[in-house]
Amino acid sequence: MKFFSVIVAVLLAFALLAAADAPLQPVADPQPILQDLQHKMSSLGSVYFELTQERHLKLFTEPLTSEGVMLIERPDRIRWETTVPYQSILLGDKKSVAQFEYADGEWKKLKLGFPQMLQRVMDQMALMNQGRLDALTGDYAISVATNSSVAVVTLVPKDENARAMLSSLEVKMLPDFSATREVVMHESNGDYTRIVFNRERRNVAFPPGTFDQGKPVPIGLIRASVSHAP
Amino acid sequence: MRHNFFIVLFAMLASGCAMQKFIEPPPMAHPSRLFPAEAFVTQRAVLTVHGRQFALNGYIAKSETRGLRLIVAENFGGVLADVLVKPDGEIFVLKVGPPFRRKWVKNFVAADLKAIFEENAKTDGSVRMLDEAHFVIEHSGYELDLRTVEVKSGPQPAEMFEAAGGGEP
Repeated sequence: MKFFSVIVAVLLAFALLAAADAPLQPVADPQPILQDLQHKMSSLGSVYFELTQERHLKLFTEPLTSEGVMLIERPDRIRWETTVPYQSILLGDKKSVAQFEYADGEWKKLKLGFPQMLQRVMDQMALMNQGRLDALTGDYAISVATNSSVAVVTLVPKDENARAMLSSLEVKMLPDFSATREVVMHESNGDYTRIVFNRERRNVAFPPGTFDQGKPVPIGLIRASVSHAP
Repeated sequence: MRHNFFIVLFAMLASGCAMQKFIEPPPMAHPSRLFPAEAFVTQRAVLTVHGRQFALNGYIAKSETRGLRLIVAENFGGVLADVLVKPDGEIFVLKVGPPFRRKWVKNFVAADLKAIFEENAKTDGSVRMLDEAHFVIEHSGYELDLRTVEVKSGPQPAEMFEAAGGGEP
């Protein structure tokens, strides 16, 4: 009997939580919200994220997961590093991109093919994380939906060919835009990629060499330097 | 004494030569024997074409009775190639994304997949196994440096080995 009441209590708690998490309401005019977002993000000098990337393919029963970090420093420097299940570093700024692979105990710099493609992706990631959504309006239709626990900014490519690859991109944030919770990239065939940000540190002083495209400093050094950041 | 020294030296050299002659390195296992009969394998690869390099992820579903399914993805997860190789050798290219081309996937990607995962595949000496998780495949136009990062043993869903109306054999 006691066991039964515990189950009822748990179910009730979930029901209450579900009720609190009201359905998302689309915002008729997202412009003021986007401006507010950009204003808040403009004060950010740098940001450090620890993330989990889940690739959901209809074909696979389980998502393909990887772990890593993303670091952004104004005006345009970005470091995307995969730490599990393999080790790889992507570095980019307005001028160039570089990629390193860890193998046989050392980092090896790749002689990148098609760096422009990588550069474009890195640029867009930097713009999104700076709240510079205005710079993306040429390529994307942008809408916003909110409820009491989340604000979702949705970007839909305007170009039909681009939509065939990426049907939409959702950025889920706290309602006051104080933190990014996840990014979901939907593909036209139903597959999607979910990037969950587990830890975020803002206005971090990264150690010299963090974005060095010749010899980036190891992630351990960066983690140590951000461990005391707010 | 000096004479004895040369006899000993000669004997040592002779025995060394004999050792080299009769002790051969153990035969290298075929890469396919390193993987369970039924498995899901994740690999990280660096493809070098005319001096330019591309980092890729490969996800392979392997079944002894149903075949091989490979999905090749770029850094951010975009699928560049999806190919199914049936146990009878028939190849279905189910998806191709730029810069890959259907012909390349059919002629090269599928052949490399078979060279690593299919014990009975024809070998042309292009595969070098540097260790149990590291292979290099060299062809005249490209080189593939391949590292196994994860192996999950166990049968994979049957639908992974079905062309499901897509692709061209």
